[in-house]
Amino acid sequence: MRLSLLAFIARRHLGANFLRTCISVGGVGIGVCFTILMQSLMLGFEEKFVTETIESSAHVTIFDEYRAGTDDFEHWADRAAGMPVAVEGARPRARQFRIKKPLEILDAVRRVDGVAAAAPNVVGSAILSFGAKEAGSTMFGIEPETEEAVVATDQYVEEGRLTDLYSSGGAVILGSGVAERLGAKRGDTVNVAIRSGGQRSLRVVAILKTGVTTIDYSRSYVLVSLAQQVLGLGRDVNRIVLRLADHEQARDVAERIEGLVGYRTESWQEANQNFLSIFVIQQTITFIITSGILIVAGFGILNILIMLVMEKFPEIAMLKSMGFTARDIAATFFLEGCAIGILGVVTGATLGYYLTEFVGSLPIPQKGLIESEHLMMSDSPRSYVIATVSAMIVTMLASVLPALRAGRMDPVETLRGHA
Amino acid sequence: MTAAETPALETRGLVRVLGDGEMRTEILRGVDLTIRRGEFCAIVGPSGSGKSTLMYLLGALDRPTGGTVAVDGEDTAAMDETLLASVRNRKIGFIFQFHYLMPEFTAEENVMMPVLKRGSPVREARERARGLLDELGLGDKLHRVPSRLSGGEQQRVAIARALANEPLVVLGDEPTGNLDTKNADRVFAVFERLAKEKRQTIVVVTHDPHMAARTARVVRIVDGRIVDDGPTREVLERMG
Repeated sequence: MRLSLLAFIARRHLGANFLRTCISVGGVGIGVCFTILMQSLMLGFEEKFVTETIESSAHVTIFDEYRAGTDDFEHWADRAAGMPVAVEGARPRARQFRIKKPLEILDAVRRVDGVAAAAPNVVGSAILSFGAKEAGSTMFGIEPETEEAVVATDQYVEEGRLTDLYSSGGAVILGSGVAERLGAKRGDTVNVAIRSGGQRSLRVVAILKTGVTTIDYSRSYVLVSLAQQVLGLGRDVNRIVLRLADHEQARDVAERIEGLVGYRTESWQEANQNFLSIFVIQQTITFIITSGILIVAGFGILNILIMLVMEKFPEIAMLKSMGFTARDIAATFFLEGCAIGILGVVTGATLGYYLTEFVGSLPIPQKGLIESEHLMMSDSPRSYVIATVSAMIVTMLASVLPALRAGRMDPVETLRGHA
Repeated sequence: MTAAETPALETRGLVRVLGDGEMRTEILRGVDLTIRRGEFCAIVGPSGSGKSTLMYLLGALDRPTGGTVAVDGEDTAAMDETLLASVRNRKIGFIFQFHYLMPEFTAEENVMMPVLKRGSPVREARERARGLLDELGLGDKLHRVPSRLSGGEQQRVAIARALANEPLVVLGDEPTGNLDTKNADRVFAVFERLAKEKRQTIVVVTHDPHMAARTARVVRIVDGRIVDDGPTREVLERMG
């Protein structure tokens, strides 16, 4: 009952000062609207990148090497600390570019908790040529079935299928960018330089187009055995790629597997650390800009409420003489601030939704990290939650001061001044 | 003492000091005053004599520096802010020289305000407001906002608001100061009737002897002290 009376007074105050209310609601609304737009834009890009990364690369990769420090001589010398050992002129040993016993390791990791699929890879750089044109490429030797279970690649294969690699006589799938550089199309025969000398001709059976520029411009796929031959690896593989049931578990699982097999094992997060840390910076910038906008809106509310309170001093004195307490008065003006905040959030969220849709529909083609015809806008509720929560916090903070001022005012002083 | 005999207002050795250091001013310097129920009383004195300050203290809107104020036998010095506010709400009705009506609310809503604050249901508050405004000749202007009422009408709405909770004491600070003679007379007629018929206590602060002349008792204050107190005619005669 009492609160409803205060709400009644608050509502009438706001209604009677309609223009002023609109201006402050507008201030909050614009703040919320642009916060949502910025968040959607930034999150959209991040989400797209993360999804593409998770979909187009392995969640966890086991490499044919040890983590720095685990196999060098100084590390060994450290372990001998306390013993009279002096190490001088230490030099890295010749590295072995292979994973030993790949079948046993595959078997072992497939049994690790959280691992959904595992596939062997043979990866190395190869020089492809087509007529007079040459292009470097990262060649992936794969087993199409196991590979497909780890990285859904087939969906990006155009003009053919991943399993076309089985066709006799040596087949290759080229990344669209690689094909473009070579000027090769499906059905053409390209040559690949073999490490140990000579060449081998491969028929282009399909084109890979993921939309991730770095992949499309570098990769080519062949069968494991062919890659082993081209890269001179005998019967070894140099990577094992894994898919997990939950990609968020990648860091954990990678750590466990590294402990198990000894080889350097990377999660997708670690592999994309550079990008992920850019997103952190990006989020920080967004946060700074949007909090700036919202703080300005907060000052708008502060300003308008202070004016309102000053103007209402005689009436507040009268309300106090009628038996309203300092808390009642403060609550009334605080409610007014909150109402402005809520109206602002609703207006801003609506505007923000349409503005986000509009910006997302603008033809702004992108080619770089990711290829897209439009800006990628996130439709995650996170943007709205962030905007709403921060706008309400700012509004409440901005309302507290004028509300307390109104509550604290001395009715006698005001009445004396007017008498 | 039975409830009927409890004075409506009583002060003992009331002192009010404003300001500190060089700005320190003794507004009231020991006021002993007893006002019974149903009295119609004027507090007169030159401006700056402390009459308004006395009224704020009587109405529990201000706290004394020294001495005591009792409203209906309850010492206000011992009360916290909430209790004081509740005393103001239930037992006091203020009327000021300026009406201080809330411009966003209609005449009716302005009068309903103290009743709603008390916790009464809206319907009851509305009936009460209508009855009072009717009595004060504003029955046809219930839904007007203050800016669409004349000065006299505004002041009558303010009076209706002061009476809304049937307060024990109505305190008026120059309640007719902004009104012409005709409107001022109407207001005083209402006060007289309230005191006589409803045994409500009316205390009016004024510096206008013509207004004071319509009351039954006059308390004269000079420099923060009561210098004369008695039936209106006698006090006014002594004033000359």
